[in-house]
Amino acid sequence: MTPLQRDLTEIMRDEMIMRDEITKLLTSEPHTVPEIAEALKVPTTEALLWLTAMRRYGLVEEVGRADANGYFKYTLVKEEN
Amino acid sequence: MLPTDISQELDYDICIVGAGIAGMESALNLGDMGYRVLLVEKEASIGGKMILLSKVFPTLDCASCISTPKMASAAHHPNVTIMVYSEIDEIERKENGTFGVQMHQKPTYVDPNACIGCGQCETACTVAIPDEFNFNLDARRVAHIPFPQAVPKKAILQRNGQSPCNHTCPAGVKPHGYTSLVRAGLHDAAFELHLETTPLIGSLSRACYAPCEKECTRGEFEGSVQIRAIKRFIADRYYELNSEPNYGPVKERKDKRIAIVGAGPAGLNAAFQLARKGYDVTIFEAEEKAGGTMQYGIPDVRLPKDVLERDIKNVTALGVSIRTNTKVESLEKLKQDGFDAVFLGLGCSRTRSKREESADGTTSVKTKAPGRVRSPNTTPFADEIKLAANGVIEINKTLQTSLPYVFAGGDAVTGPLTITAAIGQGNQAAYFIEQFLQGHPLNAADLKELECTDKLAVIAREARLSTRKPTKLLKRENVSKEEGRKAAKLPLTEEEARYSANRCLDCGNCSECHQCVSVCPSNAIDFSMQPIHHQIKVGSVIIATGFELFDAHRKPTFGFGKYPNVVTAMQMDRLLSPTRPFNSVLRPSDGKEPDNIAFVLCVGSRDSQVDHRLCSRVCCMYTAKQAQLIMGSLPLADVTIYYIDIRAFGKGYDEFYEQAKGMGVDFVHGKVADITESSEDEGNLVVRFENLTEGKIEKREHDLVVLSVGLLPNTSAQGMFRGTSIEADNFRYIKEMDEDMEPGVTSIDGVFVAGAANAARDIPDTILHSGAAAVQAAAYIENLKGLVC
Repeated sequence: MTPLQRDLTEIMRDEMIMRDEITKLLTSEPHTVPEIAEALKVPTTEALLWLTAMRRYGLVEEVGRADANGYFKYTLVKEEN
Repeated sequence: MLPTDISQELDYDICIVGAGIAGMESALNLGDMGYRVLLVEKEASIGGKMILLSKVFPTLDCASCISTPKMASAAHHPNVTIMVYSEIDEIERKENGTFGVQMHQKPTYVDPNACIGCGQCETACTVAIPDEFNFNLDARRVAHIPFPQAVPKKAILQRNGQSPCNHTCPAGVKPHGYTSLVRAGLHDAAFELHLETTPLIGSLSRACYAPCEKECTRGEFEGSVQIRAIKRFIADRYYELNSEPNYGPVKERKDKRIAIVGAGPAGLNAAFQLARKGYDVTIFEAEEKAGGTMQYGIPDVRLPKDVLERDIKNVTALGVSIRTNTKVESLEKLKQDGFDAVFLGLGCSRTRSKREESADGTTSVKTKAPGRVRSPNTTPFADEIKLAANGVIEINKTLQTSLPYVFAGGDAVTGPLTITAAIGQGNQAAYFIEQFLQGHPLNAADLKELECTDKLAVIAREARLSTRKPTKLLKRENVSKEEGRKAAKLPLTEEEARYSANRCLDCGNCSECHQCVSVCPSNAIDFSMQPIHHQIKVGSVIIATGFELFDAHRKPTFGFGKYPNVVTAMQMDRLLSPTRPFNSVLRPSDGKEPDNIAFVLCVGSRDSQVDHRLCSRVCCMYTAKQAQLIMGSLPLADVTIYYIDIRAFGKGYDEFYEQAKGMGVDFVHGKVADITESSEDEGNLVVRFENLTEGKIEKREHDLVVLSVGLLPNTSAQGMFRGTSIEADNFRYIKEMDEDMEPGVTSIDGVFVAGAANAARDIPDTILHSGAAAVQAAAYIENLKGLVC
């Protein structure tokens, strides 16, 4: 794990771009934070921050309980008709 | 006149500074006694820190369940007036024992009477910043409601001045706004935002001199955000998808007619803005084509005329009639023809560039620089309005000429202007013409903008900014030297535009993208809000400003801010709260549910290294609380607490400590030296400590470490008093002059202190102390009443 290199303000600004990347990824199937980070080649800390904001604003939600390694899977919230 | 007691001259009997649990408790006690209370809170909600806690010790009652009824009672109490998002500027004690309070309410940019607390503005907002109410564990938006149980539950826009790019644009365009929209992928919205200010988006994207880029704070790093290139991306994309505007004339018509003389940038813009308001607008243009400087002064290769024509369609789609080849030589004639107001947006005479078209269709400029300015074309009106000696039209600050119904802007007023500045004048003219037609007074101060953001503060904030170089604009092939360097650049791709937009530092926080305006169902957003200043007379003051938390960065060996899995106890309380930022207790490095958590006690308390020798009195118990809550939330987790002493002094506290031990919490009598990251297990932390029982150095590994930070005095109130200062004790808390016999009494007669502003206290002690302060203030008021004036 690399210590935090970037300020939170800069990481959080990136959410506005990265949420589209995360949305694309989650369209196929639910992912954990490490899976998202690996797919997007970004630090897990940053992936969690973006995912958390997406959850806060109703774009993603967790699926069930944490797996054996302690990670939740996240999926896109289905839009209501 | 009958004698009256002093209290009848007061606006409020008591002013309480701070609306945490102490301030609310004092206010409710005094309100119940019949005193009129003003409760002043600097945050946008009352509730202080207690409302942010998960549960309270030792009862493990829900903190929200206790706080929210108090908050609601204070908000609805007939004798309590609450002013949130407000700060005290100065308090002066008068000779008669009363107090003059100078304070101001900060603008929230949301009308609190209209806001229904729906949160749609927050969801739509395009600027993400750390959420201080979740202690930076997650992001919120600039438009936001402070937290779910906020009282009042009203949105605010947290503006930090106006971003330099927005502040500097003479046209009034909001570059930060459309940049943040492009960053968010909202390209149509970016075009529509730009259209709010000017229809000439395509032209500006080629011909603007981009003062915004010169002021861009990113320019102090690797280079400015390429704002004009982003604008060109917005315009080109939109025009490719929309060959015609998707709107027509506005339906609600106004019965006034306006003549615009000159179809240059100022005239087109004034016409556009007035037509959008429903006015009947006609533009008279002496030349064959509309566009002025843009049509005749800029070579095609730099500003293709199809782009200009599409820009002009944005104007004509509103029903604006453009009569070309039509000279206006009498303002009186326009009035006789039924026009109620006139805008003179005249350009200057210019030399025409001679262009030659080659066989392959390309155009080249054959004369010297095109568009060389000579003089403004104001001669026909010399007998009707005042002109200056150099021929320009004389106007006042509202662009009104010597004829009240005639306004003027652009080259004819100032001499040669840039297109961008001319657009700004067109916008201003439209505003003042409408004011004139509606019979409202004309006031130049109406257009005052917020002060510019302090760029140095932004640079300081971005100390660890990563390097992101400006996009290299690719050159077009086969461009002649004469056609110019600027014409030779290719537009940004979408990916490049979003990358470029994401270089923006969000200097002023709010980008003015107006997404909140678009979605607000009650039209509550108001960017024109200003601070409101108050001068208030009160009989007594209670300081209830609470405490500060120790900044864990001050113990660098503990790795806070360096290792994501080192968090503070306040962050852990947020993780355990029902309104927590994550869906569970997760470690910030990777979203894993931790299974081996350590707490380190006395971080910033009892520590002469950080000049704070006091015990904070609450850390042992809140740590025991959090440990128990974690074991409830994560039943398989191991919890370790490193402690020097356990101080369980209150009623039921020792039992609470024993309860934690009984649940399996491992209390380790050890002083922690440092925390480092494990080289073997990603994200895990190694705690090195002195085992005080066995007298040896040990190391243990955990996957999350919580620093139980101490409480520090909040010294903000100590410089608040004019001509004197309130006395502080040796630890910088507000001093009680006789803490044994006169709780709450400070060094200033009539000023009292409540709760943790005086000393670190737990919640029951704070409530008790706040009651005592309320009684002291009531007694003081009763004495004042005895003073007859």
